[in-house]
Amino acid sequence: MNTNPYGFNQYIKDILIGGKSLVVGLWITLKRLFTRIVTVQYPRQKLTMTANFRGHIEAIRFDDTKSHHCVACGLCARTCPSHVIKVQGEKTRAGDKKVGTRYYIDFSKCSLCGLCVDVCPEQTITFSKEYELVYYSRWDTVIDIMGRLEGSR
Amino acid sequence: MNITQLPYIKEIYGFLGSDVMSGLVGLLIIAALVPLNVAALVLAERKVAGHIQLRPGPMEVGPHGILQTLIDAVKLLGKEMVTPGLTDKPLYWLSPIIVVAPAFVGFIPIPFSPLVQIKDVNVGFLLIFAFSSITIISILMGGWASNNKYSLIGAVRAVAQNVAYEIPLLLSVMPIVMMTNTFKLGEIAQAQSGLWFIFYQPIAAIIFFIATTAETNRAPFDLVEGESELVSGFHTEYTGMRFSLYFLAEYTNMVIAAALFTTFFLGGWYGPVLPGAVWFFAKTYFLLFVVMWMRWTYPRIRFDQLMNFAWKVLIPIALVNLFITAIVLKVI
Repeated sequence: MNTNPYGFNQYIKDILIGGKSLVVGLWITLKRLFTRIVTVQYPRQKLTMTANFRGHIEAIRFDDTKSHHCVACGLCARTCPSHVIKVQGEKTRAGDKKVGTRYYIDFSKCSLCGLCVDVCPEQTITFSKEYELVYYSRWDTVIDIMGRLEGSR
Repeated sequence: MNITQLPYIKEIYGFLGSDVMSGLVGLLIIAALVPLNVAALVLAERKVAGHIQLRPGPMEVGPHGILQTLIDAVKLLGKEMVTPGLTDKPLYWLSPIIVVAPAFVGFIPIPFSPLVQIKDVNVGFLLIFAFSSITIISILMGGWASNNKYSLIGAVRAVAQNVAYEIPLLLSVMPIVMMTNTFKLGEIAQAQSGLWFIFYQPIAAIIFFIATTAETNRAPFDLVEGESELVSGFHTEYTGMRFSLYFLAEYTNMVIAAALFTTFFLGGWYGPVLPGAVWFFAKTYFLLFVVMWMRWTYPRIRFDQLMNFAWKVLIPIALVNLFITAIVLKVI
């Protein structure tokens, strides 16, 4: 057996091995050709986001009040490392709970750390599944959470 | 299916018997067929590419995107034909015009069926090979005239590549000529009424296929327009309709190469049940599919690999194959 790397046997061997590898490659792409496509025709079809997808935060609607449970305690605003959250509430009658009326986040500064979601004593905020996050102006990145909740009713 | 079975067709279309008339009608058919065919092939290429990469390809214009290339053609027609400042104006203007001419000439000797052939010229495929070399001249002209280093490198590569791969191309066809004693493509196809030549000459068939792929500058031999290194090679500076003429020539050359392979090795129009022309086109388009399939399978090879492959592998094997064929034909 000639083991010279430039010998005739090696030459033939190279051609045969190379040819085999080409056929293997063609077989792989042929199988792919008849596999189901995996892409989504985006504007017509949309993906459902996974359970742990983090969009910007949103308020949860509860069935008992048909609204959020925000009491405007401000813990989320205080814990936020980027000072993204601004929350206001009002008390309509003495002895009642305070109720959150305005809730704004500046999403351009949000780092999606999730501290606000963790800290909320009423557990009324969560991550939304919003992924179409394109804006024309940086002012559009200020998201009205309560308005969003009203609008989605 | 041959001429003797269908004498009445010759009678009905008797006026087509004269060379001038058949040439004229044939060229008109080619002029209509070539752009439509290219549009279909570009779409097919994009669909094959898409599905190999698990995506659907063009989907928006028309059902499943079948009108996409027509719309692209309209777009290209509407574009401004930019001529950059320091180009060699006459050559720059002439190059995309010359590149289309061999693509049209190449259809003349191809026998689509015993009846559908413009002219079975005596030199046969040598006509096609001779004219296909003009493509290279126009690529060199385009690359040189563009006054762009990427264009020039692409054009130089095209010349080196085509010089290297024309030799195995001719050497792989010579065994067929020795077996049939003719250059006429019609007679070569007729000689395969029994067994196709791919079974007599499998090595020549493989070499021919590789060499034509390289001659038409298709992947994995598309160093000429390697977009990852040369922007777009020789047609970097070309826009609009000039650019699409290069595209037209490339895809038409692919069709001619596939048609030649069908004629030489896959028995031309022979096949059961269906009429000859249908078989011919079926075989040709299958080969075109294989070319597209290869393009989206293999990475582009390096330039030294390209040259080594031609001079150290294809040419010696083609010569040995020719030699063995000659001995076998002499002995039998």
